[in-house]
Amino acid sequence: MTDPMIPPRDQDDLLAAEYVLGVLALPERLATQTRLRNDAVFAARVTAWEQRLSGLNDDCAEAPAPNLLPQIEARLFPTPVRRSRLGSLWAWGTSAAAAVAVVAYLALTPATPSLIATLAADTAPLRFEAVLTNGRLILTRTAGAPADATFAHELWLIVGDTPPISLGLIDEVRETISLPGVAPGAVLAVSQEQPGGSPDGRPNGPILVTGVLNAA
Amino acid sequence: MDDPIAALLIRIAAQDRAAFRELYALSSGKLMGVLLRILTNRSESEDALQEVYTRVWLKAGRFDATKGRGMTWLIALSRNLAIDRLRQRSTDVNDDDAMAAVPDPAARAETRLIATGEARRINDCFDTLEPDRAQALRGAYLAGLSYTDLALRHGVNLNTMRTWLRRGLLSLKECMGS
Repeated sequence: MTDPMIPPRDQDDLLAAEYVLGVLALPERLATQTRLRNDAVFAARVTAWEQRLSGLNDDCAEAPAPNLLPQIEARLFPTPVRRSRLGSLWAWGTSAAAAVAVVAYLALTPATPSLIATLAADTAPLRFEAVLTNGRLILTRTAGAPADATFAHELWLIVGDTPPISLGLIDEVRETISLPGVAPGAVLAVSQEQPGGSPDGRPNGPILVTGVLNAA
Repeated sequence: MDDPIAALLIRIAAQDRAAFRELYALSSGKLMGVLLRILTNRSESEDALQEVYTRVWLKAGRFDATKGRGMTWLIALSRNLAIDRLRQRSTDVNDDDAMAAVPDPAARAETRLIATGEARRINDCFDTLEPDRAQALRGAYLAGLSYTDLALRHGVNLNTMRTWLRRGLLSLKECMGS
């Protein structure tokens, strides 16, 4: 939709304003969020509009909020996961095969800037190192026990303000996942889920560890 | 620093849990107000509030105190989450239900607190717009009304509403930039 009264150079700025205002329909809104992640100039326009309209925030009265901290903290800082007695029975065979595949892949791929993240939390013994190169994420568990028959570890990608996207269950000590088009600042998280993983595509169990992908 | 919320966000980025609790105590009432105004449903707002603080913990490192105040960042994060949920929900309900659930933005105008310089400035600029356009802009920002909601509410077609709002936004920018 263009308005002949509005100069073309203002169209981008208006889209940023419409996004901040919140008037866009869902498909336009989602498309704008994608652009926001990939276009720093556009992102700066959005930030400027957030500041410009922030004076309206005073119009919104406070409302009584219950103390939801216990639930929030349980999601973010779970008590340490009990170590599995079966922890040593990792599927070494398949992970060794995966490691060989990874080495072969890396050997054939020219070096491009990688993103790395350490997924860890104070309370969890669990720790992962993530390396994202050429759209391929390699996740290595460097501390803690794997999931067992009573629960699963599920990996999530959180980009901007969109809901977490499941990247699947992680069973092996090292996992390789196709993950194209992710920019620095995206968050990886591992949650504890029921066996078989989250039934509704959203994290249900506590978030065990998180890390931000940044330039190596 | 005269921005206690910003100071807390910086500590939270360094994984300071005491700061996280303090932030919840200081800001949850305001953010609940923002979420409730858009989502209009208490249990959904409480669910959204949990998600807001989960994201605050995960994303506090991205807050940049040189670009704005801490509370502005928190409210932008909350509004984005609430509007995402509202737009996803509105594909499931018919327009009449959606309209009935939306509170009248004019009803709360008198509760406005003319506190900060920023609020005074934007309100002065709103006074230079035509009243129904100013009301449409406020309704969109505060209640999360879409172009479709606004067109129905003001009894104009979608393109007219889009043109009104876009011209209003440009005037507002010009007024505030001066």
